[in-house]
This record gives sequence, C-alpha cells and structure tokens, in this order.
Amino acid sequence: MSTDLHTLSGAYAVDALSAEEAQLFDKHLEECESCRAEVRELRAAAARMGSAAAVAPPADLKARVLAAADHQAQLPPRVRPAEAVRRRPWLTRAAVAAAAVAVVAGGAAGVSRLGDDEAPLASGVTRVFEARDHREAEVSTEYGEVRVATSPSRNEMAVDARDLEPLGDGRVYQIWSIRGSEHQPVIALVGDVKGASMAMPAEGTTVAITIEPSADQQQPTTEPIVAVDPRAV
Amino acid sequence: MAEPGLRLVPAHGGADVDALLARVARGDSRAFESLYDELSPAVFGLSRRVVRDPARAEDVTQEVFLEVWRKAARYDSGLGSAKTWVMTIAHRRAVDAVRRSESQKRQDDRAAPDEVNHDEPAEQLIRTEEHGAVRTCLETLTELQLESVRLAYFNGYTYNEVATLLEKPLPTIKTRMRDGLIRLRDCLEGQR
Repeated sequence: MSTDLHTLSGAYAVDALSAEEAQLFDKHLEECESCRAEVRELRAAAARMGSAAAVAPPADLKARVLAAADHQAQLPPRVRPAEAVRRRPWLTRAAVAAAAVAVVAGGAAGVSRLGDDEAPLASGVTRVFEARDHREAEVSTEYGEVRVATSPSRNEMAVDARDLEPLGDGRVYQIWSIRGSEHQPVIALVGDVKGASMAMPAEGTTVAITIEPSADQQQPTTEPIVAVDPRAV
Repeated sequence: MAEPGLRLVPAHGGADVDALLARVARGDSRAFESLYDELSPAVFGLSRRVVRDPARAEDVTQEVFLEVWRKAARYDSGLGSAKTWVMTIAHRRAVDAVRRSESQKRQDDRAAPDEVNHDEPAEQLIRTEEHGAVRTCLETLTELQLESVRLAYFNGYTYNEVATLLEKPLPTIKTRMRDGLIRLRDCLEGQR
C-alpha cells in the first residue's frame, strides 16, 4: 500500500489527484519525510515548466490586483505550537460525532488570536467568544481555519470564519444547522459577515459550512468543508 | 531578436523574489507591486494555458495574487522557493477553476487528445531563460511521460482522466507522470 501511495507523488505534485486521493496522500505525507522532499522537488520542477509558459497579462490587471489587495487584510504569521491542529480536510457527516477538533479552553491561545488585524466580528459573535465560561475549538479546513465557541451561560454558540480564504465567482460560505436529514440555512457569509452567533442548537444537531454558488440556497449543493457537533466543543 | 512583438524579459535570480515575498509578509505594498511585476507573466501564462479563456485567466491571476498577499506571512521557505510557492498556488487555483467550469463539458467531449498540443501563439510568449531550459529538458522525456505530465499540468486533468484519454492503464499513467517529473527535475538541475 505504501509503495503504491508513494508513486502518487508525481500526480500529487501537479494537482492530478481526486480530492479523496489527495487527502489520503496528505496523510501519507505527514509520516513520510522522503515523500515530502520528493513532492517539494517535483513541484519546483513543475513550477519552472509553468514559468516557461509566461505571457504578459493585460496592463490594466495590475491596477485591479493592487486595488483589491489594498482592501484585503493579511493573515498574521502562524504562532501556534508545533503540535497544534494539522491541516484537516473536511470531515464527512458520518465522522462528525467523532470530530476530533482541537479543543482549547477559553484561555491564552484563543485570546491571542482575537488580535488578528482583520475585520471585527459582530458583537453577538464576540460576546460568545468572550463569555467567561466559553469553550473554544479551532478546526482546520481546506480553506483555512474556523473557530467555534460555545457558552453554556449564554446558551449560545458562535462561529468565527475570518480565516477562511475569499471565494471567487460569487460563491459564498453558507452555515447550516443539520439534524438528521433536515438542513436549516443559518447564514451566508457575505460582505462584512465573517461569523455568526446563534442559540445553542438542540442535541443531535451539527453545524456545518458548505461552499454555495449563491447566498439563497435552501439545501446544500456541496459537501461540507467542515462540520462540528457544538456539544463536543 | 526574433518575432516582432516578442518581449525579452531579463531572467531574475530567485533571491529577488524570496526577498520581495519577505517584505510582502510585513505588509509592504510596494514590494507586492514588484512581486506582481516579477511573477504575473508566469502566473497569467500558466492560468491561461490551464483555463484557456483569457478573462477567466485574469480572474485566476487576481485570486492568486490576493492569496499571496493574504498568506505571505505564512509562507514557509522550508517547503520551497517563493516562486515555487506562488506557482503552486497558481496551478491549484487554475485547476480548481477549470474543474469547476468544465466538469460538465468534460462529460461531452471526453476524447479530445488534440488538446495535447495547443501552444500559445508565439507573439504572446515571453521568452525567458527558463523557456529554453524547460524545452530542452522536456525533450528528454518519453512521449508517454511528456503527454501524461502535460495533460495533467497544462490541461488540469486528473491522472485518472489522463489514463482514459490516452487509453492506458492507471498504474502506467501514475508512474509515467512521476518518472516524467523526476526526469524533468534532474535535467533542470543540470541546466542551472
């Protein structure tokens, strides 16, 4: 199996694996130093091949890119300790109950990250993250980290999605509450909305985020990038 | 000078780009502008090859540079040079875009091996030192290695799709893709 996986390094380096295989290989990479080195080298070779296809972009693109960057906050450097959350692809619904999210008590680790120089969260969201009895978890997705907090005294939960990378093509992140086969749209993260707070969902409800083509979906059209059982936070 | 309109771009050492990215990570927008000048032809050219539609390629290029701006402070030099990092982001974004928009179309024209050769018109190509070295090195690949690598890298096909297109067994394509890239890597090492 591992020899077989190892030969996927070439396809992996040029993004030619299916999402499922890429996840498997990601896991394999964590344990295989020589594979990481090989992927690094093959990517460098591929990058040079790509550079050889250079074409001058239209002159007006530069102004658009610079203007867009001007409105875009930068992510702070990673400050988490080495053993902190690893890149974790989205959890399937079946795996939700067992979702091994990295649980951080509402202490130093959580507070320092609130200092990110990004758009402020709505006060309702901040209230939950700052509640004295709050518990907090950080979950890695393919698109960046999501922080979840719950507060028993407020009977609320909150999601901070500021670290999720921006989507193109008008697509949006949509938060759902899921109970059995029922999906309730909670909120679409559009414009300045980078998080949400809500009443603590009933037991057996999971909260998930999907990427949707527009903000008005009544049913998810894609697999969640992340799903969390708020009671496990 | 060769064809009219062909723009010669001086080849810069990788050190420039690494230093620029370090400044971008500190929020230096002038460094970001220089980084754009330095890498946008490579990013746009690659996007253009993969997504084909020039307007989409512009969108991809913008997405790539915004991701670079956003994540510059998280770039890990242990994982490769700054240029490789940017080109890896560019390739992933371009492939994502083409898979989103073409997953349907793919169903219809599954067998289109003529896509193997669709070089850009010469007047748009920017000639870099890279260009010659890459061309020379690609010539050292076997035909099947070359087609596997190009269909995956420049057309955004999965190795599964490549196997279907070329009517070869999956394990064959998997190993040819890797062997081809290894040969390219080894040859480029010698060309530095």
